[in-house]
Amino acid sequence: MLGRLLGIAFAICFLTGLISHYLQHPPGWLVDALPARPVWGYRLTQGLHVATGVAAIPLLLAKLWTVYPRLFAWPPMRSMAHGLERAAVAVLVAGAVFEPATGLLNSVQWYPWPFPFIQVHWAVAWLVIGALLLHVAAKGPQIAAHWRRRSPGTEALPAEDLPDRRALLVGVGVAVGAVTVTTVGQSVTPLGRVALLAPRSPQHGPQGLPINRTAAAAGMSGFTGQGWRLALAGPRPYELSLDELRALPQYDAELPISCVEGWSKSARWTGVRVRDLLDRLDAPRRSGLRVISMERQGSYRVTEMSHTYADDPLTLLALRLNGEVLSLDHGFPARIIAPNRPGVLQTKWVSRLEVL
Amino acid sequence: MPPGLTAAARWTAGALGVALMAFGTYVLLTDAHIHDPQDVVLWLAGAIAVHDGVLAPLVLAVGLALGVVVRPAPSRWIVRGALMVAGCLTLVALPNLLPPGRPTNITVLPLDYLTNWLLLLAIIIVFTATVLAVLNRRPRRPRSAKTATRCPSADRPTPPAP
Repeated sequence: MLGRLLGIAFAICFLTGLISHYLQHPPGWLVDALPARPVWGYRLTQGLHVATGVAAIPLLLAKLWTVYPRLFAWPPMRSMAHGLERAAVAVLVAGAVFEPATGLLNSVQWYPWPFPFIQVHWAVAWLVIGALLLHVAAKGPQIAAHWRRRSPGTEALPAEDLPDRRALLVGVGVAVGAVTVTTVGQSVTPLGRVALLAPRSPQHGPQGLPINRTAAAAGMSGFTGQGWRLALAGPRPYELSLDELRALPQYDAELPISCVEGWSKSARWTGVRVRDLLDRLDAPRRSGLRVISMERQGSYRVTEMSHTYADDPLTLLALRLNGEVLSLDHGFPARIIAPNRPGVLQTKWVSRLEVL
Repeated sequence: MPPGLTAAARWTAGALGVALMAFGTYVLLTDAHIHDPQDVVLWLAGAIAVHDGVLAPLVLAVGLALGVVVRPAPSRWIVRGALMVAGCLTLVALPNLLPPGRPTNITVLPLDYLTNWLLLLAIIIVFTATVLAVLNRRPRRPRSAKTATRCPSADRPTPPAP
């Protein structure tokens, strides 16, 4: 029972992790296939990724508790096959503890280890899912023997322990509910007020929206917009001042910022359609776009978007957030906002757009 | 499912598992951002050490103590469940409580997590105490036939948790 739930949780984490990885680092053949719909797609998958990872913690601890005595099995290795199976279980246990732990610490932006989080979390995810498959294959007969209430293995369990086992499962279920209710409000906004342990709160943030990377962290402190011009490169290049940008037709879009750390919140953005800017460049439809930020450093200073985003009427170069001029922390004077896209790619402090 | 087919499915799943693990290892060894894969191996081993060497023995010790201190089964189950919930909430709260220094980004960890964590523990204590008081005050009513078959040993103490 615990094993099956945990297996489902790991599968959800792995699949949503794959989606997040390929949205952020698409291989060439996938770039033009990334969909801009549904608008809430990444909000859902990444919220699910983090919520499932948190919910898996009680399941994982209970599962490891039930199998802990087998750590001391004697002899430690009955055969070569048994030794290999135990080695795979060691990888599974190590990775299964490592992934939620590093994920939780990443969500509070605390990195006490000497390696990069993204690449290692990604690599270890493959180790875990591979070791899990191997474990299921090795334990196939035992899993089958306990699959149903009337399976032979289940019937053979001592009947007097049944209430105790049930009480344990209820406890695990309540623990899963407790850790979920106290954290999931960072992405499920109506539960924001009971998210007592969530590292992000939808109520906290300038202009009603949390921030992933501050202006100070990006080296943008004190920027006033003085002398800022937007450079556009393409078949017919041009430049725009902030006033000229404000004079273009403005559109509203209700779009979420959805962060890889699991938090998300919807907001009302106002600005110029990216496609309108591309039309003035004489850029053909189905053109990709490179977005360049003024920020001094950062691995997301330059980002690219495929035509699926650039041609979308909801994709804006936003100038206003929830009715106010963008604050510096939110990317003043202009930032990208596009549907179904990880927050780190919603480039802030934009200074240049290049048609690809 | 015929045994031959099951065996084939198991071998296929196993081989796929090995292939996925090989890919993970390949990423660890070749990714340009991961300078020293040994660090990762060390932290993975550390994950096992922390769980198997610290957390699991601690939980077992608490379980044994619980079996001695709180004998009648329904009460013991309630206390055990409360400890599990409190423990899991504490684990989830720790990353919020422990980071050194104050974050420069005020929207990361904006809440008073120490107060919130203590509040949650207080709720669990009050709730558990209330349930235990109700359970132990009322003389047990004769149970209906249905519950008797479902919970044959509900009032018998079970052996201490392993």
